[in-house]
Amino acid sequence: MHIPDGYLDLHIAITFIALSIAILWYVLTRTKIEIDGRKIPLIGIVAGGIFVAQMLNWPIPGGTSAHLVGGAIAAILLGPYMGCIAMASVLIVQCLLFGDGGITALGANIWNMAIVNVFVAYFVYKFIRQKLNGGINISSFAAGWAGITLAAIFAGVEIGISSAFKYSIYVTVPVMGIWHGLLGIIEGIITAGVVFYVYKNRPDLLYLR
Amino acid sequence: MKISEIKSYLSKRSLIILLVLIVATPLFAYAAEIVGYSEPLENLAEEFGAEENPLYHGLFPDYTIPGVDPYIGTIISAVVGTLVTIILIVLILKAMLRGKTNGPNT
Repeated sequence: MHIPDGYLDLHIAITFIALSIAILWYVLTRTKIEIDGRKIPLIGIVAGGIFVAQMLNWPIPGGTSAHLVGGAIAAILLGPYMGCIAMASVLIVQCLLFGDGGITALGANIWNMAIVNVFVAYFVYKFIRQKLNGGINISSFAAGWAGITLAAIFAGVEIGISSAFKYSIYVTVPVMGIWHGLLGIIEGIITAGVVFYVYKNRPDLLYLR
Repeated sequence: MKISEIKSYLSKRSLIILLVLIVATPLFAYAAEIVGYSEPLENLAEEFGAEENPLYHGLFPDYTIPGVDPYIGTIISAVVGTLVTIILIVLILKAMLRGKTNGPNT
């Protein structure tokens, strides 16, 4: 889902750079309030784990594949603010060291995968877990699925209002949404597996149990 | 911050999981190559004839090291990327922590 250089019109790229900087600025001020120094190594390991997990491309035969994004795992384990910082760090390293995701599209990629994915996943998890008294597995599965699907829909909007995709937002949004909605089932299963494992072994590490 | 406090949040198991994931990267790269890995975004771009126009390739373009065997390049990329990600976020969070303890609101 990493958008490369060349897919977004310049004004779209700049708009999303500005939006992402504004949200990250707010997230950092909240991080400053919430940060617990003892948890820094844990947050580092989660971010490192998400980086390497994103390198594991699922070999799905038939032409359409994906890899874990991990925004929901970050959100449920670290909370929305620390989760957002963790995902943004992963995306910055991927872009600057590995050329994965364009440098002009970094704002849009951070918006989709570090902001939309993380916050949507967090609120879906919180809603099902606390308001509907849902189980840990169903809550984290839904968070994983919804986070990545919404992120993909945003990516569909961004490319769909750009000239490289002939302004075909009515095609790009459903294609991105439906495909990632299907692939998101795997993201949901992996999210639920990781969260359940932590819940069983170290429930104190979950931001929201 | 005491070492014992850090250790309570950092198990040996989590480091082993990280290591297993790193070792798995060349296997997944191989498997993805066999099935012809292609994401929905790439398929859409092909359909519309949208072309990538990379302004910057990074130090390790596409998780490889120029002139090095691609699978060895992948595993080195995994190690370097994981370490740099951890270092980056720890530096950001430590700066935040300093802001917290020295800030005007504390």
